Amino acid sequence: MRHQLSLYLRLISIQLRSQMQFRVSFWTDVITTGLLNFSYFFSTYLVLQRFGSIAGWSVAEMAFLYGMIEISFGSMDMLFSGFDPDSFSRFIRQGLLDQVLLRPVSVALQIFGSAFVMRRLGRITQGALVLIFALVNLPVHWTPLKVGLLPVMWISQIAAMGALFMAGSTLTFWTVQRVEAINILTYGGVEVMSYPMTIYPRWLRGFFTYLIPFIFLNFYPALYILDKPDPLGLPAFSPFLAPLVGGVMLFLASRFWQVGLSHYQSTGT
Amino acid sequence: MSPIISVQHLYKRFKILQRRPGLGGALVNLLSPRYSEVSAVQDVSFELEEGEVVGYLGPNGAGKSTTIKVLTGLLVPTSGEVHINGKVPWLERERYVREIGAIFGYRSTLWWDLPVIDSLELLQPMYRIPAERFRSNLREFSRLLDLDSFLNTPVRSLSLGQRMRADLCAALIHEPRLLFLDEPTIGLDVIAKEHIRQFILHVNRQRGVTVLLTTHDLADVERLCERVMILDRGRLLFDGSLTMLNHRFESTWTLHVDFEVEYEDVSLPGMDPPVRQGLHAEYHFDHRQVTSAELITRLLEKFRIRDLEVRRPPLEETIRRIYREKLLIN
Amino acid sequence: MRLFLHLIKLSILEQATYRTALVAGLVTNFFWGFFRAAVIVALYNGRSEVNGLTLEGALTYIAIGQAMIAFLSLFGTFDLMTTVYSGSIASDLIRPVPLFVLWMARDLGHSLVNLVVRGLLLLLFFALFYPVVMPESLLGWVWTILALAASWLVSYAWRFLVNLAAFWTPDARGIGRGAYALSQLASGFIIPLRLYPEWFSRLCHLTPFPAMFNTGVEVYLGVVSGSQLGWALGVQGMWFIVLVFLSQIILRAGIRKLVIQGG
Repeated sequence: MRHQLSLYLRLISIQLRSQMQFRVSFWTDVITTGLLNFSYFFSTYLVLQRFGSIAGWSVAEMAFLYGMIEISFGSMDMLFSGFDPDSFSRFIRQGLLDQVLLRPVSVALQIFGSAFVMRRLGRITQGALVLIFALVNLPVHWTPLKVGLLPVMWISQIAAMGALFMAGSTLTFWTVQRVEAINILTYGGVEVMSYPMTIYPRWLRGFFTYLIPFIFLNFYPALYILDKPDPLGLPAFSPFLAPLVGGVMLFLASRFWQVGLSHYQSTGT
Repeated sequence: MSPIISVQHLYKRFKILQRRPGLGGALVNLLSPRYSEVSAVQDVSFELEEGEVVGYLGPNGAGKSTTIKVLTGLLVPTSGEVHINGKVPWLERERYVREIGAIFGYRSTLWWDLPVIDSLELLQPMYRIPAERFRSNLREFSRLLDLDSFLNTPVRSLSLGQRMRADLCAALIHEPRLLFLDEPTIGLDVIAKEHIRQFILHVNRQRGVTVLLTTHDLADVERLCERVMILDRGRLLFDGSLTMLNHRFESTWTLHVDFEVEYEDVSLPGMDPPVRQGLHAEYHFDHRQVTSAELITRLLEKFRIRDLEVRRPPLEETIRRIYREKLLIN
Repeated sequence: MRLFLHLIKLSILEQATYRTALVAGLVTNFFWGFFRAAVIVALYNGRSEVNGLTLEGALTYIAIGQAMIAFLSLFGTFDLMTTVYSGSIASDLIRPVPLFVLWMARDLGHSLVNLVVRGLLLLLFFALFYPVVMPESLLGWVWTILALAASWLVSYAWRFLVNLAAFWTPDARGIGRGAYALSQLASGFIIPLRLYPEWFSRLCHLTPFPAMFNTGVEVYLGVVSGSQLGWALGVQGMWFIVLVFLSQIILRAGIRKLVIQGG
């Protein structure tokens, strides 16, 4: 296990070194990526100047939802860069998976180590700034449980969205064409989770409650931390389901990944 | 001693999606895909002893690469048994690949953007090579392969020959007992090819590495292999020594003769008349019926001769004939 | 002119071969429309009109935004800068057509295919779930087509200008991302400009960005009507000319630089 970790760090450090080679380009990338993402929150901020709130959520409360999920998605996108379905399908088409299979190390570890897109730092940073803005402007009554919930949300969100990346990459073992559906789930999931879930039509909310239970990742923990009443009347433990959702999704995705890999090994490309 | 590679009744069939044309066709494909089956490898069996260098030959699409992919654990066969080093490649991939080296000539196994040395150094923790062994192997290989001048160059900027040398070093740095080479000299110039052949011979003789290689360049085979296997359309047509191959399939040899003086008639009784040009003549003969020694003795008895040379047909021609004869059998 | 039409045709044919990509894009844009419509409904919160924009109008605004992403290339294009970096721009520069016109033809072919496949189909699907309003008169349609065509021209000129950054810096991609972030925000694509606070939408109207999207949609919705129509289209035309003028100056300097330094 320690050996695996050190190998992973070594692979990542190589990635970083090659990205830092073009330093100027690197920083413009970080900054413009941050700006691009920030423009979406900025626009919400502006529009709430006129409307005051959305579904009973103030600007600062919206900033909490948005900041959390942006930090997590940015972190996930960095950590799971190798599993980004778009780049992974390219990886397969170039036949690079054969090279990976020839090495006496777990395939997943090598894919994790194959990319680490530092540019996402821009997205994480703008998310963090928005979250700080939220925390400064919100009168949260902090308890140890609430403080502890923040990192748990972060890790669970990374795990859940990373699981979707992994599942999307696994799909490319069969087809390059159906990846778009997963992209709608991942990128769409971030979009959906950055708003209060009550704004969505019932069927969409049902989908994100029972099929892909994103509602427990951001919305419910936020309700708990911000002391907002539950408008949907789900059980009282709902705010604490995030780690379960993240864990189960990641577990299922890794099983699916194994199936996909053995499919690849029985068909080749 | 048990063989290091044992392949029994190997089959590999692929399903290929039959695409229907047009937009409607694409829709039908999605709903009820129609597959056709292609057999890439059919009932192939062979064994390799430790220390052998064996050429695995065949025309494009014969199933060579599929076999190599099965043997290196990249591909799971449809049926058949493979035991290499006492392991089944695809069942215990991680432990198995530690003991083999593999090169696919058309694609580098190194990290594209990294300098060669960084790539090689990454292999040390991957294969858990003791630091001391790693350093001495690296020293030896970079001397033999002349790597020093481009150790700090990224793989993507290497010439094909340099890349292949770096790949060879990478494939052997963890001291595998087996080396699989898929087209190791493809696209290289004569000098680079020779360099690589010398290196392969060296690791085979000095380190006892068993080598299985596919190639289209028969000079590779003549230089490296004592034994060849010939594959066509997934079936093994021939498995034996190069001498045996020659013996069995090269029937017509040619004796080139330069005479001291011009003769009216240089034909020998019972032989086809030679092709003549001035003082030069070429006798085509079936070496299974007449030995070259016999033929030369008869010529020397009758004529004054300056020079003699026996030429066998090039291996390429022999192999081409094997494919052709197989065609006739079918 | 014949060459221009020929280039458009080539580009249409090329686009049409990416059928799966077209469908995938359509599906993605459609779902996003759904998410965004939910936000609008929640914002309106029972109000039927905000700052001259009805709820139906705002929902239609979102739908048109999603439908026009590909037609107006609202997320930006990076093709021209790629040819600067790869050097293949050289073969475009020796053609008997100005670079601006050459890329316009390529872009237009791509846009027209997307207008039909991703634009009209998306609007049709969207209309099944949400109220989508349409111009009431034939004249309304004529003005709409003119205004959307003008939007396309302004969008194209803006993207052409942004791509020229590649002549000066190896970082044009990053700069482009930043520039397109700005144009998405200020063109009204993210949120209809009328829903922003007064000061911000007035600020936006000082830039060329509303001319590449907001104006077209407001003409379609009839929010801009009567005597304002001529004025609105005039502003679009003015920005197009300004952007063309700017890009020609910059392009000339860029080519001079390319020639002197040998690329």
